[in-house]
Amino acid sequence: MSGPPAPNFVEVRDLSLAYLHEDGWLQVLSGVSFSIAPGEVLGLVGESGCGKSTLAYQLLGYRPPTAKLLSGQVRLGGADLLAMSRAELDRRRGNRVALIPQNPASALSPGMRVGRQVAEVLTAHRRAVGRSAAMAQVVQLFEAVGLPDPPRILRRYPHELSGGQQQRVAIAMALACGPDLLVLDEPTTGLDVTTQQQIIALLTELRRRKRMAMLYVTHDLGLLAQIADRVGVMYAGQMVEVAPTRVLFLQPRHPYTRGLIASIPQLRPGERVGKPLRGLLQRDELPPGCPFQPRCDFAEAACAAELQVLEEAAPGHEVACRRWRALASPVAIPLPIAGEAVQAAQMPLLALEGLAVTYVSAGSMFAKPVSAVRDLTLAIERGETLALVGESGSGKSTVARAISGLLAPSSGQILFKGERLAGRLRQRPRALRRTIQYVFQNPDASLNPRMRVGAILARPLEVFFEARGADLRGRIDGALQDVRLDESYAQRFPDQLSGGERQRVAIARAVIAEPELLLCDEVLSALDVSVQANILDLLKRLRAEHHLSMLFISHDLAVVREVADRIAVLFRGELCQIGPARAVFQAPMHPYTHALLMAAPSGPAALAGLVRAPEPAAAPKAPSDAACPYAGRCAWQAGEICEREPPPWLDAGNGSHIRCHLSLAELEARALWRAEPQPAGPPAAAEERAAP
Amino acid sequence: MTLIRLIGGRVLISLLTLLIVSALIFWILEVLPGDVASRILGRDATPETLALLRAQLHLEDPALTRYLRWLGGMATGDFGTALTSSRPIVTILEPRIFNTVLLAGYAFLLYLPLALIPALIQAVRRDRPADHALSAVTLVLLSMPDFLIATLLLVTFVVAVPLLPAISLVDQSSTALEYFRAMTLPAVTLAIVMAVYAVRMLRDNLIEVLGSDYVRMAELKGLSRRKVLLRHALPNALVPTLNVTALNLAYLIGGVVVVEKVFSYPGFGSLLVDSLQLRDLPLIEATVLIAAAVYIAANLLADIGAILLNPRLRAA
Amino acid sequence: MTLSAAPRLVRAPLPSWRRLIRRSPLSLRIGAVILALHAMLAVLGPWLAPYGISQMGTGIPLSGMSWAHPFGVDQLGRDIFSRVIHGSHIVLLLSLTGTGLGVIIGSVIGLLSGYVGGWIDNIVQRLLEAIISIPFLVLALLAIAAAGPQLAGSPTLVILVVALVYAPRVARMARAAAIEIATRDFVTVARLRGERAWSVMRREILPNASSVLLVEFALRAGYAPVLIGSLGFLGFGMRPPTPEWGLMMAENRALIIITPITVIGPGLALASLVVGLNLFTDGLARLIGRTAPRNPA
Repeated sequence: MSGPPAPNFVEVRDLSLAYLHEDGWLQVLSGVSFSIAPGEVLGLVGESGCGKSTLAYQLLGYRPPTAKLLSGQVRLGGADLLAMSRAELDRRRGNRVALIPQNPASALSPGMRVGRQVAEVLTAHRRAVGRSAAMAQVVQLFEAVGLPDPPRILRRYPHELSGGQQQRVAIAMALACGPDLLVLDEPTTGLDVTTQQQIIALLTELRRRKRMAMLYVTHDLGLLAQIADRVGVMYAGQMVEVAPTRVLFLQPRHPYTRGLIASIPQLRPGERVGKPLRGLLQRDELPPGCPFQPRCDFAEAACAAELQVLEEAAPGHEVACRRWRALASPVAIPLPIAGEAVQAAQMPLLALEGLAVTYVSAGSMFAKPVSAVRDLTLAIERGETLALVGESGSGKSTVARAISGLLAPSSGQILFKGERLAGRLRQRPRALRRTIQYVFQNPDASLNPRMRVGAILARPLEVFFEARGADLRGRIDGALQDVRLDESYAQRFPDQLSGGERQRVAIARAVIAEPELLLCDEVLSALDVSVQANILDLLKRLRAEHHLSMLFISHDLAVVREVADRIAVLFRGELCQIGPARAVFQAPMHPYTHALLMAAPSGPAALAGLVRAPEPAAAPKAPSDAACPYAGRCAWQAGEICEREPPPWLDAGNGSHIRCHLSLAELEARALWRAEPQPAGPPAAAEERAAP
Repeated sequence: MTLIRLIGGRVLISLLTLLIVSALIFWILEVLPGDVASRILGRDATPETLALLRAQLHLEDPALTRYLRWLGGMATGDFGTALTSSRPIVTILEPRIFNTVLLAGYAFLLYLPLALIPALIQAVRRDRPADHALSAVTLVLLSMPDFLIATLLLVTFVVAVPLLPAISLVDQSSTALEYFRAMTLPAVTLAIVMAVYAVRMLRDNLIEVLGSDYVRMAELKGLSRRKVLLRHALPNALVPTLNVTALNLAYLIGGVVVVEKVFSYPGFGSLLVDSLQLRDLPLIEATVLIAAAVYIAANLLADIGAILLNPRLRAA
Repeated sequence: MTLSAAPRLVRAPLPSWRRLIRRSPLSLRIGAVILALHAMLAVLGPWLAPYGISQMGTGIPLSGMSWAHPFGVDQLGRDIFSRVIHGSHIVLLLSLTGTGLGVIIGSVIGLLSGYVGGWIDNIVQRLLEAIISIPFLVLALLAIAAAGPQLAGSPTLVILVVALVYAPRVARMARAAAIEIATRDFVTVARLRGERAWSVMRREILPNASSVLLVEFALRAGYAPVLIGSLGFLGFGMRPPTPEWGLMMAENRALIIITPITVIGPGLALASLVVGLNLFTDGLARLIGRTAPRNPA
């Protein structure tokens, strides 16, 4: 790190920082050093709480009042940001270094029109004199970031824009003064998969055009494969590995990096490499040496005592692990693919026939009823896992709520073992309420914070089995063991558990009722990647042990790939495609399925240079019965017919059924997705084709 | 369009509330106590006077008829006749309301700086000595009943340093200066009590807003501290404070009752107390209904203000 | 994933009382000390006071502050300091029972109305809104006027009036809390089991609303002495010669030019009690906000 003055534009040296907590100072960054060359994109990855965002904000010289700088420098073009006065910082922030925030919805001032918010940056840095000059520039900026109709948009308030548009405004704001460095703090985390992909495409394009340096912070390693030149991996406030992106994916050195890569769910069979991460980052129980030692599969006793520093493993590849030489390169472990549907001849466990659900939004007597799900017909066989996929707002959860009895269908029927289910919960007998159990997305909200875990698990037993005494306690202990939690957990309150443990308790509460059908509503999406893998394994095991059928709702195709027997793709409340998991992941496929697959962030797949279909950012139109619901957003639109007539069902022959006006041959020809991984191609070619 | 509909909805709800309040007042005063006439006349009642009063108040009619007649009168501005003075209630109310509106306006002018300045100082100097000192002062003031604050002011500015009159008697013949001297102490009392509530709320709002993502974003855009505070923090912190201001207006209606009494200021509040002491039923009904109407109107204004100020509510 | 891999968490089922005190904000501790002093005065008042409750001729009438008579002597020669001490338990008892009653009634109405929802909730909400829109002092005076001469000046009436003023305001808070809690998934889970409204109320909603209600109680209790004092001051509360502090201030108001301390003395007693209550509430809200962050404080 010493020697002649580095050509690097950003130079962070030995940065250590602590936060004031209830119980004293907690060190969140320890001795972090790295650099970014002009025009280079450095990705920063790690689990939540590893200090990556704190680090990112140091490049803007920003510390909350509760933070204390222990040591270090952040040099930007030679000057130390951490030693500057507020006035000096003000001259650089937004001007030479700009931030793209994690959540544009909260980062844009709610009471100010977005145009003025961007213009403010221009005038503050004297890039525009006068209101009209500034606004003219804002219009250009909005055009550059692909916002439709800029003169109209700039008069909007933030809440009047969609999440994607808000993020585009925030990007325009960051680009306003043509900064040398962009700091991106999880810029796509709050967004839909498809929107996320559009934003990534925009950023990639901007990067090529403007040659700005970027620091891209994310918890999603797969995403970095698409955009970063180099990646830094952080763990517990330390940089544990830095390497060029491709090298990091192909030859990860640090055990933590390996675990992270292995934890990424894969869209293709046999791609998963190594063992996923176990355990959780516990900041208050770190050993004096390597912070990863408690979770490391390769750890020796000495690791806990010896401080690890970055050393060069190969040119440009640094790793902070004393054992990196000793670790063999990872071995690919082929994973079994989920089995095909079992015994389809039997009567299905659950069948939906022409199900429709409409909402009347509460609070307004003028509101029109909104149709959330229309004419849905599908079945779940005994022991089968059916996955329901689609973006948010596609009506996935509505289906689960209708099955559970929380929402009465407005037409159609739900058959359970051939018998019609009452629409309302109250009219269903107790035994039926027991056999269908629901696991919610967010365990923080689904566990009563004022009840101990034992009491939470006792309720279903008391209500459904009238169990008490030793029998009750025995069953609770059994259920805890089932989800791999210690008996002592019965005495804890939910807020004494980690997110993953809470979800285990929520699953235990569902399974303890001995259900036949488990409704899993985005059960992984509130969890960290490393925890997701564990919960997924748990669900697969419980499914086998308890002979459960599952309706597995998710927006994440990679997760679905691992767990589902069959997959149903939903768009705006209508079914687009349904079929065995293997078939759905093969061409021919519905244009929407294809868009979802291409949008899914997944490390090696993206690295392999796959093209994503650009989605036209057209305004969503009101769904009408007389059209394909996907018309207007479809990249492969067959023509005017899509707007006029409902599409027919096509039988793909491999068990998959697709609802589209295009012919099977056309669908097959248009699909760029291949079920087998392709050899790595030059990413540049991909970009050309991706450009709108 | 939605804006008009939204505000129209609020107005309708307010009118409905006012209607329920009127029924409630009528029920509490004329139905709940049983025989109203003997209640008003007390022990001095003779059968003749009772009969006279019953006839005067039409007590022989069914309650619903009386309520509707009363409500109709109220709606058309006919407030009836006071029992004790036999004067039309409107002529009694007029000068009193004028005095109180004047007092309230004066108090409100004092209230704004008294609320805004300490809150800004506290939020910017958060957890520093200035913040703690102001917190302590507001807490103590908050804990003082208004009649104690009024008394302390009285002792200070009348007894110790005789600057102002102890008794704030004014009438139509009073000059502007006399009014000003008479109103200062009551107005300062009211302003202090209102400001104390607002300061705490505004400080907390400001601190919350100062910690928000968009304020951090504004700072990271390179805006100066002053611009961040005045353009991004303050406007957003003020929106919830509107509610406190509405509550304060509402307090003002109760507050004037006590404060006017302390300073013997001939306003609406002291009229309310007098009418209760004299058991002048029509006058009580009129004053209480007006008090409730003002409260409802204040809340309505705050709601509308919030809708206009906060673009997010408009979409709701 | 094996059992041994379960993360090791510090096991702390409930913070012990000592821990709670150590973590409690300063305002809570100061408030508690002031309240303890007041409670002591209320209990031991009759033994601590130098003179009797209505004892006349204790000193020169209308004399000001002195060691023998810190709050002066009134027209009748009664020692104001002694009367303030004698009044302590009256003020505390009236405030706490009135507030308690109001919070209980308000909570039941609010929580049930919020959870049940529908048209019942609509009607209840409109009614509460109507009562709240009568300024509380005016409402109190109205209720006293309606109660008539038999009850006037009795402690029962004062308690009922405090409860009447507070119940709708507490109900509004409780309703908001119930509605917020009812949307959370654990309530949905209970509904999916088919549990009855009362059971959901008791097991799921009440425990999660309890901190809101506790703060609400403390908040309202903090204002109750002022409300009672205001009524006394206006001549609609307790009757003379009860040593209620607001009433005493009204009684001695005519003396303000001669011996201001006879008016200010009882006022200071009232203010110190309310300062204590407010500090305590402030601290309590912060403490609860910290130990149970998932509750809307």
